[in-house]
Amino acid sequence: MTSIYELSNVTQSYAGRTILDIRNMKIVKGSILGITGPNGSGKSTLLRILAFLEKPGTGKVFFKGKAVREIGEDLRREATLLLQESRLLKRSVFDNVAYGLRARGLVDHLRENVAQALSQVGLDPGQFAGRAWFELSGGEAQRVALASRIVLKPKVLLLDEPTASIDIQSARIIAKAILEARENLDTTVIIVSHDLEWAYSASDEIISMHSGRIHSRGPENILQGPWENCGENMVCRRLDDGQTVTVRQPSPSPSTETALLDPEDIILSKAIPEHISARNTITGNVVRMNLENGKGSVLVTVLAGGQTFTSRITSDSLARLNLVPGSPIALLFKATAIRWV
Amino acid sequence: MDYLSEGFSTAFRILFSGQEETYSAIFTTLKVSTFSIICTLAAGIPLGFLLGYYNFPGKRTCRAVVDTLLALPTVVVGLLVYAFISRSGPLGGLGLLFSLKGVAIGQFILALPIVISLTASATEQMENTIRLTLMTLGASPSQLAASSLWESRYAVLAASMTAYSRIISEVGVSMMLGGNIKWHTRTITTAIALETGKGQFAEGIALGIVLLGFAFTVNAAVSISRRRASS
Repeated sequence: MTSIYELSNVTQSYAGRTILDIRNMKIVKGSILGITGPNGSGKSTLLRILAFLEKPGTGKVFFKGKAVREIGEDLRREATLLLQESRLLKRSVFDNVAYGLRARGLVDHLRENVAQALSQVGLDPGQFAGRAWFELSGGEAQRVALASRIVLKPKVLLLDEPTASIDIQSARIIAKAILEARENLDTTVIIVSHDLEWAYSASDEIISMHSGRIHSRGPENILQGPWENCGENMVCRRLDDGQTVTVRQPSPSPSTETALLDPEDIILSKAIPEHISARNTITGNVVRMNLENGKGSVLVTVLAGGQTFTSRITSDSLARLNLVPGSPIALLFKATAIRWV
Repeated sequence: MDYLSEGFSTAFRILFSGQEETYSAIFTTLKVSTFSIICTLAAGIPLGFLLGYYNFPGKRTCRAVVDTLLALPTVVVGLLVYAFISRSGPLGGLGLLFSLKGVAIGQFILALPIVISLTASATEQMENTIRLTLMTLGASPSQLAASSLWESRYAVLAASMTAYSRIISEVGVSMMLGGNIKWHTRTITTAIALETGKGQFAEGIALGIVLLGFAFTVNAAVSISRRRASS
């Protein structure tokens, strides 16, 4: 599989604070990569670097096998980013969608191309092309913003929370249009999304970021402090309902330390077994189940004491446990399974 | 209070009867202010855009000077320009004193800092997301600059209207550099000052109504532009 991007020791700092620190990362050409992680984990900075909107402070970015030295408009035109708070230009819908084509001098069949792009995002060109930017709802504006990227037939389409804060119908249409762009144009798609259901089902690969670093190739449970000492070289995080998560004390041990737990390391059980070696037994309720694209596994998200835990199980296990959203369930994991960031 | 109500009724009679002297002042005002604002916009918008869009050494100082000039009193502008274009001044030979060209120079100096400052603010305040949007759509540096100015157009238009309001309502420059010469350099504001001094309230009120009409039109246009700029 050919890599379209390769990042090596890429870091980015603002005001002396490291926002991004990626040792090594490859993105396969034509794939859909999902990026998850809490706010401030460096996802948007990574997207801006991949969109050639900014240069990394240190390290190298390779694009289509070549090291990126200078960012010119030719390179920038290979990738296009749909920003989280995408703003339409203060002009008509037609002019918004046509802007990138005109900038590139691609004015042949402009009307047809714009109309096709608008249709792809579910907007009737006859009805919408002449509308001004302020005559659109939030969902329609986001679809126009996506159409103005799709019309460019980009090699890479980067999307920062494309379905956040818009209506369900628009979100569904946008998700469909993105998948069509990948199928029809062989575009590499990189998505940052909190819509985990969609991200897991659409992506060929998911990476999880925290504090500017890639922590796993897949979803990860993030356990934030405060942690309190509970003896025997262990620290505990008290959940809202009084249950505790116990983990070996880090060294040094600031109370606000963040810990990670791999979904593979969480065992789901209908009841708490009497004799088990796992130090942590937490009870909660299933809130979500997402099928992972092409893997045959299911991510089960459980809410326990205000904290969500995600466990990866096979579809056979899911059937055996007979889980549905709302089902009570026990989570079992060892204290040693938790890693400190 | 009778003289006020009588003044208003006479004012409307003057306006509707098309009194030549009154309409001469109105047309002179429109002529000189239109010429002044065109020259001001031609110089002020590019300068304001450069000041707001690009970073260069001394930018803050330039900005501070321009912002200070916003408070220039019209009589000070009149005095300075008078010193240059009076017969004994360096430009005395051009015969600009007590001409509409002289008034236009003063009004240009008066309005230029307004256009530069407000255009620079409009460009600076353009949201970073718009800039990033243009970049991610593939704009070249020159396309980025041109599109940034275009995206700020409603705010720039509001700046232009504000400058026009200042020009059309000033009296100091027109009086000192135009000399309030009947049929020649008499504008609405200098005529109001003169007629009021003579006790001719009706003429003054008639011209005041026209001036208010202009001000209302300009302010309505500014308001619409501001709404467009913020939507």
